[in-house]
Amino acid sequence: MKIIFTLNGKKVETETTAQTTLLDLLRHNFKLVAAKEGCGKGECGACTVFLNNSPINSCLKLAATLNETDSVVTVEGLEDDKLMQKIRQGYTDEGAVQCGFCIPGMTMATHHLLSHNAKPTLSEIKTALAGNICRCTGYRKIEAAVKNAADRGE
Amino acid sequence: MSNYEIFKPQTVKEASDLLKNDGYMPLAGGTDMVVKIKNGFFKNLKAVVYVGNLPFNKIINENNKVIIGSGCTMEEIATNPIIKENYPTLVEAANTVGATQIRHMATIGGNVGNSSPAGDSIPALYSLDAQVLITNGTSQRTVDIKDFFTGPGRNVLQLGELIEAFVLPLRKTTGRFMKLGERSALAISKINLALSTWEDGKKHYRVALGSVAPTVLRSKKAEEILENAAHPLTEEVIQKASEAARETADPITDIRSTKAYRKQMAGVLLRKALEK
Repeated sequence: MKIIFTLNGKKVETETTAQTTLLDLLRHNFKLVAAKEGCGKGECGACTVFLNNSPINSCLKLAATLNETDSVVTVEGLEDDKLMQKIRQGYTDEGAVQCGFCIPGMTMATHHLLSHNAKPTLSEIKTALAGNICRCTGYRKIEAAVKNAADRGE
Repeated sequence: MSNYEIFKPQTVKEASDLLKNDGYMPLAGGTDMVVKIKNGFFKNLKAVVYVGNLPFNKIINENNKVIIGSGCTMEEIATNPIIKENYPTLVEAANTVGATQIRHMATIGGNVGNSSPAGDSIPALYSLDAQVLITNGTSQRTVDIKDFFTGPGRNVLQLGELIEAFVLPLRKTTGRFMKLGERSALAISKINLALSTWEDGKKHYRVALGSVAPTVLRSKKAEEILENAAHPLTEEVIQKASEAARETADPITDIRSTKAYRKQMAGVLLRKALEK
């Protein structure tokens, strides 16, 4: 079946099936491979993207349920985004990226947090990232990276 | 994933007619359904009926009632000003579901429709005397939340019926939602408890326990002890109410916890909720 939606600011049209998840659609139809499949059941957050500005697990969203009015944003779509650039710098400076598999999801969750709460406490950071698992267990550095990004000036 | 079709009805009537077909299942946020579909849990799944386009996504305050559309996400509920002002128990319950990403997808209608005894919004709705507004596209009916569930994963919805909304009496309540899980995020409750109280000349208490029986239970005995006690509550009253909650709980041992632990924790959770 044909679906139309907005992807990273551009209207797109593509073919999909009733079984395809948004994650698979992004990776296969659009070659956007930042979002990843870790668990495939909404527990690890590696597939986090924004749907209408809200972070969601793209592995749990059936692509066929997208509407023409829906807007999907992936890490690739935030290349020029000022906040995402600060977040990227924060993660780099704190050495928070180990194997890197969870990082696109971590940075999307971080972006959602910092765009709603510019100066989060450590507890708020932990809650905001509770849906993202890092199997290298680099949580301390990831928390520091979020703090680093939040403390960065314009 | 199995070979099913997908439909995206735009009207309630259309959705209802589709759902009358054998093997057609409603899908809202999909946080539970999609995992089950991927795992092949539904042997007879012929079609998924996406109900996310139906006009069930508002929270309104009218005629001394608060109406929560079944399509509202946990995030929408936890951040809504009317809910925050009146139903802190429901805010806390919504905030313990999954994690941020799940809360932006999962709907309250899905949580209730799924009818798991461990569903986190359900004890909160019991504690707030919620009613379930059911529609089939042409007529509506209302049932008390306590009469909605008939067993684990089972409820009174007939073929072609959908949950349209939850109707709560408008009153300013206070309360707590307590949950015991393997970790604080993304865990299914081993046991959960909702405590809501309000005053209208007399102090009212509602105590609802989840994951301790085939459906959520209210501990009427604990409520009675608390309602008949002088305030502030004494240690003796809290002790008695906790014992009553423990007696109400009738859990089983399963993969998440044991009968004995759940029963014991029913009392502990009530004590903690009262002491907070």
